[in-house]
Amino acid sequence: MATEARILPHREIAARSIGRSVLLTLPIVLWSLLIFSNSFRQSNRSVQMAGIITAVFMIALFFMMMRTWSTYRWRRWFFVALGLLFPVGFIHTVMVMRGSMGIPMEEMIAGRTPFCFMPIPLLILPAALTRTVVFPGSILPGGGMSSSGIAAMVGLWLAITLVVGKGWCSYACFFGGIEEGMASVPKRAKLRKIDPRWRYGPWAVLLAMVLLSLALFEPAYCMWLCPFKAVSEYVAARNTLGMVQNGIFIALFAGLVVVLPLLTKKRTQCAFFCPFGAFQSIFNKTSVFDVKIDRTRCSPCVLCQNACPTMSLTKESIAQGETLMSCMKCGACVDVCPKHAAVWHIKGTEVAVKPERARLMLLYAAWGMAVMFGGTIIAQGLAAILHVFV
Amino acid sequence: MKIQAKLGYTAAGLTVLAAVLVPFLLYGLFTKGFAALGLHVDEMYSGGPKVRTIKTAAYSIVIHRPVSPHMLQSEKPFVQLDWKPVSALAGHVSDVVDVDGDGQPDIRVSFDVPKDPKTPLRVNVEALNPHYEAMRNVGKERFSKLIVRVDDAILVRVPLAQR
Repeated sequence: MATEARILPHREIAARSIGRSVLLTLPIVLWSLLIFSNSFRQSNRSVQMAGIITAVFMIALFFMMMRTWSTYRWRRWFFVALGLLFPVGFIHTVMVMRGSMGIPMEEMIAGRTPFCFMPIPLLILPAALTRTVVFPGSILPGGGMSSSGIAAMVGLWLAITLVVGKGWCSYACFFGGIEEGMASVPKRAKLRKIDPRWRYGPWAVLLAMVLLSLALFEPAYCMWLCPFKAVSEYVAARNTLGMVQNGIFIALFAGLVVVLPLLTKKRTQCAFFCPFGAFQSIFNKTSVFDVKIDRTRCSPCVLCQNACPTMSLTKESIAQGETLMSCMKCGACVDVCPKHAAVWHIKGTEVAVKPERARLMLLYAAWGMAVMFGGTIIAQGLAAILHVFV
Repeated sequence: MKIQAKLGYTAAGLTVLAAVLVPFLLYGLFTKGFAALGLHVDEMYSGGPKVRTIKTAAYSIVIHRPVSPHMLQSEKPFVQLDWKPVSALAGHVSDVVDVDGDGQPDIRVSFDVPKDPKTPLRVNVEALNPHYEAMRNVGKERFSKLIVRVDDAILVRVPLAQR
């Protein structure tokens, strides 16, 4: 079974030297200083301190990735921090700006509903057919909680997706960290046998939500199924229908993001439900980075299959030396493999030839995005907490 | 090194370069590109484009184009009217409005304007033209039937009778 202790690199070779690790971390140091330079200059001490702490945190994690050759466990620290601090910063802002986590109708009509990346796939068909965005926000900056508008969020998503593809789900998503944290709590999974057909869940939800959004002309996933409404904002319950909607959000959050990850040690919401994750899988085809299984080294012990948090490896895919298209490049399989058969890879190159070069190139791109997007969100959440003390 | 491998490494290098360019170039480029698509937010939320303004000394009434629901949208057709004060609205507003601009009064709208902006609003609409539905003591029932305060303006959505 994939236990906490096993998702570590089984390297016979010693840790990389400190000097070389520092040298490899240097680009991320410069990048972090650049990204957080605004925070450093702030007169607000909590914002300033949050920027410094986050920059140090992100640099330290990257240094450890370089020093230990391991990706997954250090990335997980970042990802869990992102998952936990996003709601803190967001709820703090919502409460300051409008005093409630519920979105009042007047805010929707004024186009001030904050737009996250989740409904992006649901907007495509209505936009293509009628040039209409079925979301109660503003295309351009609309003030209030809408912040910089739908166009800015779509622009950011496009830019990050161009760089990391499906890696979005490991280096940018500000929701997945909660369940990744939950999945890391137990030593062993209590629920080990999971029907592999659940893997089609996200595609089914995506198809249903895309069609429903077109038919009802509303972001159906946001209105009915998003588990993360429970920790961000929700439709203000004006009537029984609103109560039912909020009940669904809470039940899905409790089930998919808390209970099932604790029982299975998997990211169950991501693996079996998230329609955005399914949509993002398409961009694994456009990304130049992937993970391969070197069949000449593979035993196969299926440790990688058990370690994968989204069930993106099967016996068949291992035999073919591939991951499934739902692979989000978290690195769990690479780190757990005792034979170094699971390797980072650049498309077009030979498998297992200079995999560390592939890992470094992926990490510079992905960690750059993590610092820029996730790091900024972590700093906001941290600032909200520090504001209480400083 | 094979040509595929060279292409692979080149693409990987370009990806790292793209990552560096995201905050300086790509983010802004994609944002502007999306904004330039000419999309608009669904009128069920935005209330539709403004077509006419009736000005009085204390406030103006902005009339929007009637909005119809799409496909299986569960709302009714409606027309939105905004009361926008020059300085502040009076405690009680009652107006007879020619919505369609044919010179004939269509609806009589009346509502109280509480001083506390958090106090719920209620609106009465008397239909003088059968094309519009009457509303009694309506708050925020549906997107197609409501009264809400947005900043200093008060927005009323009057459902249109199905013909």
